[in-house]
Amino acid sequence: MTEKTLDCLGEACPVPLIRTQKALGELVVGDVLVVAIDHSCAMKNIPEWANKEGHNFEIEEVSEGQWEIVIEKSH
Amino acid sequence: MPITKDHQYYDLVVIGGGPAGLTAALYGGRARLKTLVIEKGLIGGLATYTNEIANYPGFPEGITGLELARKFEKQARHFGAEFKNTPVKRVDLGGRDKIIETFRTVYHAKAVIIATGGKPRLLGAPGEEAFLYDKGISFCATCDAASCKDKVVMVIGSGDAAVEEGLFLTKFASKVIMSVIHEEGHMDANAAAQADAMREPKMEFRWNTVVDHFEGGERLEAVILKDTSNGELVPVPVDRCFYFIGYLPATELFQGQVTLTERGYIPTNTRMQTNLDGVFAAGDVRQTCLRQVATAVGDGAIAGFEAERYIAELDVFENQLLQCELPGMIYVYSPIDERSRDFLPTIREIERHYAGRVRLGLVDTYKGECLAARLGAVDTPSLVFTQDGKVVAKTRVLDPDRIERALDALVDHREPELAE
Repeated sequence: MTEKTLDCLGEACPVPLIRTQKALGELVVGDVLVVAIDHSCAMKNIPEWANKEGHNFEIEEVSEGQWEIVIEKSH
Repeated sequence: MPITKDHQYYDLVVIGGGPAGLTAALYGGRARLKTLVIEKGLIGGLATYTNEIANYPGFPEGITGLELARKFEKQARHFGAEFKNTPVKRVDLGGRDKIIETFRTVYHAKAVIIATGGKPRLLGAPGEEAFLYDKGISFCATCDAASCKDKVVMVIGSGDAAVEEGLFLTKFASKVIMSVIHEEGHMDANAAAQADAMREPKMEFRWNTVVDHFEGGERLEAVILKDTSNGELVPVPVDRCFYFIGYLPATELFQGQVTLTERGYIPTNTRMQTNLDGVFAAGDVRQTCLRQVATAVGDGAIAGFEAERYIAELDVFENQLLQCELPGMIYVYSPIDERSRDFLPTIREIERHYAGRVRLGLVDTYKGECLAARLGAVDTPSLVFTQDGKVVAKTRVLDPDRIERALDALVDHREPELAE
């Protein structure tokens, strides 16, 4: 199992979602992707997409208005 | 390899971090309950999709949904509520110990508040996503009608909500165009609403139409309708488009446990109680007549308060009233009832006489209505006798001799003989 970090700080929608989709596509099942974001709209569309796709995830609010979405590639 | 899940224990778990959930958490935290809010995405729920909330009192200049949610969250955290940002995978709410499972953790709670909200149903037509919410496609006339003054708006749908909200919009807009999927003269709304709509000069109907796609730049500029009778595309320039084609409550998780309405909402009483003990619902997910931030916070406050009361009563019920150490006698009384009050000194006297052999419990129905109900005592005054933590007899007859005979029997581990 490997863990990869994707820095999307300062990036506006839909860039973080597209980069997340691409980065997760390059990983294998069981790998973990940590996406760092600071745009609230990415806090809507990334979890929504991950939920729809059936990937497990948890979000940590690193500081106010800055989050890390930890996504486990499930399939 | 299956991951062993971590187990964590809370008094109150709130599922959903929108205005209802955040308010419930604020009340729970302030009542010193160990409170957790579980939210799958951004804190604030549907409110964060709105740029300006003009009808939430206290903010006369308006506030964005995101800013308001931030304030709610800050206040809930201030009172000790904790947050976890992850989807709930499974729940088991029927038992005393409520279980809420996420991807890595099993949370146990004494009480649960469901504040999962929902979403307006979408059409899925091309271009729709680009214009949702503040870009031109709205779902709430109460919220957005005021910004439609002298504008041309379209309404999608022909049910009660569509027609009634459409009529409301005519007070603001210069023209309200109803796109109706049915043939001319046919709507799903009630007859009275239909008649009002037909009489309203500002209303215009496009029969046999469905949305083909949406067009615009930064904001919505036109809805391209498709005439289902001939397949023709009809562009209609509008300033705003309102959908009234239903709302999808987020209740899939609770199916088979919590009673749901036909449309998936959670019915509650005015105390936000669901069909399950210790499970409450608040906000948009509840079967209600208005879904606003202002109504959600009201629901949340009641649910938080009731959850606290439920937990406190459960504790009194299990640890004090239904104690196992000694035979028990519980006097269920109402302080506003004279007969109840007058018998209280006699009860005290009996208690003194049996000190160390029988434990007395008092339930004031004025404060502890639910406790009395739990004991199955509906009338006041009445007496409930327990042995080994279980109710063994009840009576409404307040006769000191009979009571003493019953207590003697309990002390000797015999069945007490009492008239109901």
